[in-house]
Amino acid sequence: MIENVWLIPVLPLLSAAAILFFGKEGEHSKMPFLGLAVMGWCLLQASCIFAQALLGRFEMPYYHTIPWFQFGVFEMTLGVLIDGPAATLLFVVTLVSFLVQLYSLGYMHGDPRLKRYYAFLSLFTAAMLGLVVSSNLLLLFACWELVGLASYLLIGFWFEKPGPAYASKKAFITTKLGDCGLYVGLLLLFASTGTFDLVMLQARAAAGDLSLEVATAVGLLFLFGAAGKSAQLPLFIWLPDAMEGPTPVSALIHAATMVVAGIYLVARTFFIYNAAPIAMGAVAWVGLLTAFFAATMALTAYDIKRVLAFSTISQLGYMMLGLGVAGYTGALFHLTTHAFFKALLFLGAGSVIHAVHSNDMRDMGELSKKMPVTTATVAVATLAIAGVPGLSGWYSKEEILHSVYGHNPTMWLIAVFTAGLTAFYMSRMFFRTFFGKAGDHHKWDHAHESPWTMTLPLGILAVLSAVAGAILHYTGAFARIVDPALILAAPGTPEASGHATEALSHAAPEGAEALGHAAAAAHEAGHAMLHHPPDFLLPGAAMFVTAAGILGAWKLYGKGDFATAKSLREGFSWAADTLEARYYFDDFFLFLVGLSDRLAAAFFWIDANIIDAVFVDGWAAVARALAWLSDFVDFRFVDGAVDGVGLITGDAGASLRRLVRGQTQEYLMYAALSVAILAVFIITR
Amino acid sequence: MGILSVITFLPLLGALAILFIPKEQVKAIRATGILAALASLAASLYALTSYDPGSMAMTGLPIQFVEKFSWIPSFNIHYHMGVDGLSFPIVLLTTFLCFLAAVYSIGIKERVKEFYFWYLVLEVGMLGVFCALDMFLFYMFWELTLVPMYFLIGVWGGPKKEFAAIKFFLFTLFGSVFMLLGILALYFQTSPHTFDMLEMMSAAASGAFPREFQIIVFLAFWLGLAVKVPAFPFHTWLPLAHVEAPTPVSVILAGVLLKMGVYGILRISFSILPAGYEWFLPYMAVIAFINIVYGALCAMAQTDMKKMVAYSSINHMGYCLLGMVAVSATGFNGAVLQMINHGLITGALFFLVGVIYDRAHTRDITAFGGLGARVPVYAGLMAMTCFASLGLPGLAGFVSEFLCFLGAFDKWKLFTILSVSGILVTAAFFLRMLQKVFLGPLNEKWKDLPDMDLRELVSVVPLAVLMLAFGIWPRWVLDLMNPTMTVMAKMFPGMFALVR
Repeated sequence: MIENVWLIPVLPLLSAAAILFFGKEGEHSKMPFLGLAVMGWCLLQASCIFAQALLGRFEMPYYHTIPWFQFGVFEMTLGVLIDGPAATLLFVVTLVSFLVQLYSLGYMHGDPRLKRYYAFLSLFTAAMLGLVVSSNLLLLFACWELVGLASYLLIGFWFEKPGPAYASKKAFITTKLGDCGLYVGLLLLFASTGTFDLVMLQARAAAGDLSLEVATAVGLLFLFGAAGKSAQLPLFIWLPDAMEGPTPVSALIHAATMVVAGIYLVARTFFIYNAAPIAMGAVAWVGLLTAFFAATMALTAYDIKRVLAFSTISQLGYMMLGLGVAGYTGALFHLTTHAFFKALLFLGAGSVIHAVHSNDMRDMGELSKKMPVTTATVAVATLAIAGVPGLSGWYSKEEILHSVYGHNPTMWLIAVFTAGLTAFYMSRMFFRTFFGKAGDHHKWDHAHESPWTMTLPLGILAVLSAVAGAILHYTGAFARIVDPALILAAPGTPEASGHATEALSHAAPEGAEALGHAAAAAHEAGHAMLHHPPDFLLPGAAMFVTAAGILGAWKLYGKGDFATAKSLREGFSWAADTLEARYYFDDFFLFLVGLSDRLAAAFFWIDANIIDAVFVDGWAAVARALAWLSDFVDFRFVDGAVDGVGLITGDAGASLRRLVRGQTQEYLMYAALSVAILAVFIITR
Repeated sequence: MGILSVITFLPLLGALAILFIPKEQVKAIRATGILAALASLAASLYALTSYDPGSMAMTGLPIQFVEKFSWIPSFNIHYHMGVDGLSFPIVLLTTFLCFLAAVYSIGIKERVKEFYFWYLVLEVGMLGVFCALDMFLFYMFWELTLVPMYFLIGVWGGPKKEFAAIKFFLFTLFGSVFMLLGILALYFQTSPHTFDMLEMMSAAASGAFPREFQIIVFLAFWLGLAVKVPAFPFHTWLPLAHVEAPTPVSVILAGVLLKMGVYGILRISFSILPAGYEWFLPYMAVIAFINIVYGALCAMAQTDMKKMVAYSSINHMGYCLLGMVAVSATGFNGAVLQMINHGLITGALFFLVGVIYDRAHTRDITAFGGLGARVPVYAGLMAMTCFASLGLPGLAGFVSEFLCFLGAFDKWKLFTILSVSGILVTAAFFLRMLQKVFLGPLNEKWKDLPDMDLRELVSVVPLAVLMLAFGIWPRWVLDLMNPTMTVMAKMFPGMFALVR
């Protein structure tokens, strides 16, 4: 079973190509069913692998490579590396992809470019799954860029509208800016280690081969790349605009899967961060600040998808924060549960948008009466993300907050406050959409519950949002397979990783042994922390802020009377304006874009008016020199020659001089023309 | 007669045949031209079947298909042809692109006879440059490319064709004069005097050329080669020449002609003048950086699509320079692979720009809008090619760019890191172009714009297929060149301490 894991990314790639090139385009295209069927198969296969991983049925990590290409003595490989996080993400990605493809049958019904839509969705899933399984950073980076491409294509799917066209470009360029950091990080890593293979790198790190400087620089550069993809400060600006894409796309790409690629990258290279405290600290702070600032920006947004986008940014911040405070397991746990409830929230929002044909929450309200299934499922997700005990968000967020508290209580305070904000803005969204009074009666009258293709995925995700956290938490299976000790220690058994043991054998044995002890200690400490019942303070505080957030939102938005909220908005208008302007980050980047445009114009002006001119004038100088030379030759020639001949050549010299002093171009032209004229003469005759 | 002579002179045969066809028989002329290019392509593919990339254990260059006989004995000039992993991939690229552009040239309606004649002569010159192993022969072929290109731009070009042609001619001639001096200097420095490149290489390896001599001769060659690359600041002929040249000629100009410069730097400047090369490395690193960032920024300032692509060529050839300053197998592989990929990608870009220009008679980016819905095939191919050009993994450009950066990073950290910003700018201007031309509401002016026809698809689709193939499996090209590059990087043990 595990040997065939490579099929999981390859099959969607093939189906993407098949959907793109075969079949007829149109709203009645049958090709989407191909995509769906392939996705179903992948989901099945991934579920088996995830289950086997949880039950410990195969040796982890599973590692297999084939040669890709060679340059000099270096060999690049294509390969899979399946450890706990990879197995988990395989399941999450295939599940959400499958549900989104099913949902899209309803949501995209009647779209004339349905076939293309499914081809892009499949392409995205293929690239994302490739990113998840990749055993080396170059392949990971390649897939990283390809998910960016799929994101570009899908954000701009309705490209006739200027909004999506602009947003897709913004998303690509902003993430590309982050990728430049990642690119340099890769260069530096390869220059220092000579490999991109994760297993070999892990062995090197475990053997202490990675110097502090290199680890720190690589860690920070990777973080910059991750900040682009996972929409962290300061590169988050593209994600709110990415909401211009179809809502199922937002659920799949901009909530559950692609945006966690940055988190996954940091987790995948956790051994580098572990060797670089500064980079680790940066991860924590970037995550914390992102979580906080994004949560505040969600407070004032009216576009239901943008609220969710800010929420996604904020939750991704939590995951970053978790990784940064060495809460590796908690961060990946939150990644998993977040994928369920955030995909559900987006699909629920899509269901609402499908019903009222608007993104604006001011047009909504009272929809619970019209859309019971959507309301109920979104309610589960809202409570889950708000952190209500028992639901999945509670467990994962608690684990992160616990790690944060152990790391730095001040950071914990900010994180808990942010959790309260989360409960508030999510409840605000929920109440404004489903409760209170209808904002637009015409739209309300026409609203209806969505078809089963859309509500079934909502139901499945609602169940997972409710129970997945508890199951994974109480069985302890997740903590067993997603264990920091596994990625920090020297990698596994000889048969699992031939390369790694080879690399390890170079390391000093006693060093490896000492590290082995350290790893074992870390292992035990990790388990102790996870299984030890938390103090009263931590869950109590979390429960308190959650309750306060929900109640506060109910007070302000629950009854359809927004007078208090409005007066608050007016009382703190400067703050609200700042939030609505997204702390002016967009303006800052627009300023940079304008600057680069001006720089480009300036360079082009220099090119056309200075550099080119230098050469044109330079030719004049060369021509003058040649003229002088020809004078000189004339003089010598005339001087030494018989008078009559001298006269003739003198005349010839004079005409040549005229030639030279005239159009410079013509002078050298004669050389070529004399060669070419004859040929032209012959063939045109 | 060896296979290389067959490849090189088949187009000449075609050109001569065209002379005998009356100029009214346009179809026969086109067929002859295309067939000649196809024959040369077929011959080069045949050579590929028996080409042995060379084992890693070899210490000398794995030169193959050697033809050598005395030509002008009094000056020790030989007709000496041969290819290795450096030149053979470029030969394949040349025959391939020349065939595709010959098909596309069916669109040329005026003076067809002369067009195909000059076109085939140009192909002979280019192929000869890459196959010749005798300096004299090399220079002959080098100059042979000049005149056909002058006419191809000057007769069949755009509004400012004469000026563009002359500018191209002057720049190149200026460079080649210095190169000729360099060649003569090398000739007189060897004893016995020789024009043979391989003998010069062994003379260089045994230290026959003093350092100062090498530096001076290197600079002379640089003037000749940098113009072709084109390396800053000798690049200003290129945007104009590209914009004015007819589409198939732009393709050849970007796809093949620029490669003569990079090829010359590796074959001559590096292999024969290592001390000069070593001395020049810091400057070359700076020039590579300027080419990359400055070229990209200049491209961003353009509204004319063709000019934008032309400036992007300057940026992309900067990657080749960056790969070459690495002086390692990684960087050399990257530089040569980048030449091939740039030929495919930029060739396709120029075809595609030509497609839209033929229909709309404008290349102004701002004149379009929303074409994606109207011409989906064209939009798809254009988008794919743009993404290949901006280095999207899975398409050809990525691996070669990455290898260039990877090689250079070893010792030129600052300039390599600064050059990475060029990638961002490249993405910016290509995406802006895609947005303005294909996305947004359809500009009603173009509501009847037809999609690509068969001739255009035949020219572009093979390039697209190779872009994808080499992107996914770069080994197909890399394996041809890697042994040669590995040998070259180690050709001068004890030198290039700075970069090792």
